[in-house]
Amino acid sequence: MHSNVGNGSVFGLHDLQRELLSLLPEATLSVGEATLELASLPNDAPRLISATVLEGSTLEARRVDDPPVSGFRAFLDGTQRSVVATYIGGAPIVWGHVAAVVRERHNRRMQTWGAALRETRIYAPRAVLPSVTWNTLAARYDDRLIDTTESGIEGGLHPFALRDAALHRVQAHREVAEQRLAELWCASERDPLFIDGGISGSERVAVSAHTVGVVKSHRTLYAEDAALSAVLALDLGERSSVFRVTSPRRTTVASWYLRLRDPKGHDPMWGLLRVEVANPPGEMLHRIGERADLVSRWILAEANPLALPDGRWDKMVYGVRDCEEFLRAVS
Amino acid sequence: MSTPPLGRVVATERRPNTPHEFHFWTALDSPVGIGTIVRVTGRDPVNGVIPVVFGIVTEGFSWTDLATPLHDVMGYNANPADNPLYQTERSEIRLYTAAVLRHVPEEPLQPVPMGTVFLADQDDVAIALRMDGYLKEGSHTGIPIGVYRAGGTDAPIYLDADFLIGPEAAHLNITGVSGLATKTSAVEWLLQSIFSHFPEQKGSVAAVCFNVKGPDLCFLDLPGEIDDTDRALYEQCGVPAAPFENVSYFAPYKADLVSLNTLRSNEALLGNVTALTWGLREVLQYAEVLLNKDDIDAKADALIDFIKENVLDKRFTDPMLERPHTVTSFADLDAWFKDVLRQLEKKDDQSWRTHHVATIRKVRNRLSNISLRCKGLVADDGATSDLPFGSFSDRTVYVIDVAGLEEDAQDLIFARVVTKLREHLEKRDLGVQHVVVFVDELNKYAPADGPDTYVRKMLLDIAERGRYLGLVLFAAQQFRSQVHRRVVGNSGTALYGRMDGDELATPGYAVLSPAIKTKLATLEKGQLMVRHPHFTQPIFVRFPRPAIMRGRDGVSRYPQAQAPTLHAAVLRALRELDPGITLGWVQDVTALATDDEILRARNDVVRTRPGDVRKTFASHFRASVAPRTASRINAPAPLPAVPADDPYGF
Repeated sequence: MHSNVGNGSVFGLHDLQRELLSLLPEATLSVGEATLELASLPNDAPRLISATVLEGSTLEARRVDDPPVSGFRAFLDGTQRSVVATYIGGAPIVWGHVAAVVRERHNRRMQTWGAALRETRIYAPRAVLPSVTWNTLAARYDDRLIDTTESGIEGGLHPFALRDAALHRVQAHREVAEQRLAELWCASERDPLFIDGGISGSERVAVSAHTVGVVKSHRTLYAEDAALSAVLALDLGERSSVFRVTSPRRTTVASWYLRLRDPKGHDPMWGLLRVEVANPPGEMLHRIGERADLVSRWILAEANPLALPDGRWDKMVYGVRDCEEFLRAVS
Repeated sequence: MSTPPLGRVVATERRPNTPHEFHFWTALDSPVGIGTIVRVTGRDPVNGVIPVVFGIVTEGFSWTDLATPLHDVMGYNANPADNPLYQTERSEIRLYTAAVLRHVPEEPLQPVPMGTVFLADQDDVAIALRMDGYLKEGSHTGIPIGVYRAGGTDAPIYLDADFLIGPEAAHLNITGVSGLATKTSAVEWLLQSIFSHFPEQKGSVAAVCFNVKGPDLCFLDLPGEIDDTDRALYEQCGVPAAPFENVSYFAPYKADLVSLNTLRSNEALLGNVTALTWGLREVLQYAEVLLNKDDIDAKADALIDFIKENVLDKRFTDPMLERPHTVTSFADLDAWFKDVLRQLEKKDDQSWRTHHVATIRKVRNRLSNISLRCKGLVADDGATSDLPFGSFSDRTVYVIDVAGLEEDAQDLIFARVVTKLREHLEKRDLGVQHVVVFVDELNKYAPADGPDTYVRKMLLDIAERGRYLGLVLFAAQQFRSQVHRRVVGNSGTALYGRMDGDELATPGYAVLSPAIKTKLATLEKGQLMVRHPHFTQPIFVRFPRPAIMRGRDGVSRYPQAQAPTLHAAVLRALRELDPGITLGWVQDVTALATDDEILRARNDVVRTRPGDVRKTFASHFRASVAPRTASRINAPAPLPAVPADDPYGF
């Protein structure tokens, strides 16, 4: 049977849908589905976490006095897209595509460093599919078939829960793709890499002196009480004291908040970034403030050009938007 | 080593490719510009062949990822002087639209496929412009027009002689604003190129140029200054960087009938300058040129025909007239008119041979006036000095300087010379098989609107039928839109120099893209846009400055001669035929003659070119007798004595 899906790591949604319809007689075509990224709202609750301050005794605002300076050589970001390709007995079979790229700046123009990573998988709930169906899919797609029910599902077998489970798997694959690229960078390069998102997911990346993670979402804030007030009151060009972010499943990193844009007239999160760098060893702890100032100056230097028309432009730097545009073009 | 790609073909639903147009993007630093020729190598084979498409860039676009200009305003805090630190340039595109020059293979004709775009090299340019058809070894009919230069590619561009000089197509029209030395320079360069490359198998070719203003064409045989760039262009095109070898100048006299009416009057340059004078016969043949419609009604026309058929160059007798007339000059004609009118007055008659006296007076008035309006060109005495019709030489330029003449005289010269060329070409006895006639200010001679003059009708005739005869029109004007459509429409080849914006806004240029128009409006000296039957799109080329002394340089290096005295002018004319003649001899011979008699004698000698110049010239004058002092007459000898034996003695 001729197949456009073939055995490659990338294939299109429509190719998959055509193939599923011929492979599985019970499959029904799902037309006009929105991507799961749009259809599913984030379900992690906002929270405040107290963090250990590494710079001084309390978390407070600190002005980055020296002017912005160019520091980053490259930017890393990843994208994902997942769509229900078909339903079998109410169970969603999801097409998921992830990609990641490092875009390197050369003479103020962006170009791709190495090669972009692009992967497509099929996410299916084995627990709710007839075994013959699962076996058919497994025989055809082999390691590109992912069981979304492998580690249980919150919310039971509700179709939305099955969909969310698929989305989480896609997210995890996207993070892995990003981490692989970041690790490649750390293994071969000695210049700073701007990573969109945290760096604690990969130990090799998290301990590197050449990676800086910049987090735009603040569902979790690492400050409480007065510290929280200080963070939310940060003015343009100010940063918070450096604190330590720890997690049982992640590598500990040093972090601070930085205000990229003037928040006057906007919500408290406007232009607010959280920066992650490698947690300094004990003997270097006293110099973490200098490191935070320098990295902050690098980030402030990326305030222009604006990342418009992206809705997150207040927190997004242009290099990251360039990564996304590149991946949108090639995906 | 293979050439790296220059760009890639793109097409979207909104901006699709067609069989005649395609789009491609390039790197920001690519050497592509408007007018660049590119080659597209298709991605997928058609009928087993990878299609190759050649195109020329006609439009360019560039944009960034800015969704709205407002975003840039925000980036600069609404202050253009603000200079925020920009580490990264926005993503930017260079997108070009190209018009298709050629598909290989030609069939099936499909929209331009997706593929890789390369800068055309010299061979590609030849294929793209279909020059490969006429640059073949053994049947080479290419005439270099200039060099196409883009992105490091230098390729000579050739016109096809069969389509420039005929017979397939012919004629060339050049347009552009004045003052940039483009039009005249381009024609001079092209004539040099034609003389160097006109294929031998096509025969001989000469050029007749009308110098209608200033000293533009007055120094074609003198070397001019060119730089290394020009020299390189000459070398690439295989044309010698030298002035024309054979040039003959013709100019009428000024009204004084002594000095020539040309800026090439310096003594050192007069060797190849010939006076242009015509008599009554030559003028009367083209009376229509000089007489407008108000002048020539049916009655006047009939009388002029009568004179041409029955009076001119014949012994004319009529019982009414006082004496027989042989009319060969304006003076003779005037005498004939006077006789006719005097006799009519005597008889108190109103008509003679069906011609009313008023018509006779009117025609006399108009024709007599011609010799005044065209004084210097038209000789009262019937003397004629003309172009060498019948013995034209190959690769020779004949320049007729009409710059200093009245409009009527210019028209007359133009009409007569072109008509004579045509007549001789029809009879195949001109001396050459092809003649290029260069006319500037075409919008004056063949305007799109205005009266239907003899000259315009003649130009239309050349434009439409000249190519069969080998009579080729190279015409120039500032505003092509103001020239008769049939004249420009019949020009197989068109050249465009820098153009005026208003002119480009006229409908004739609607087929050009805005970018091409912009390029035309900003063309440098030495650049031309070329349209030719083999080229499906206009091409931009560079041509060298002609290796000819520029008019203003020539005028300053060879200043005009002071108006000579009558005797000096006559001496100059006679010395051409007999270098031993001296001023003193001329003065002696003509001592008792009037100015008219002297000029008549000069004209006769120049026209007849006798073997014995002195004798012929002197024969026109009464022999002068050297003054002698009267001496006392000696007393007569005494009579002899009477003989003594004289029988008759007293």
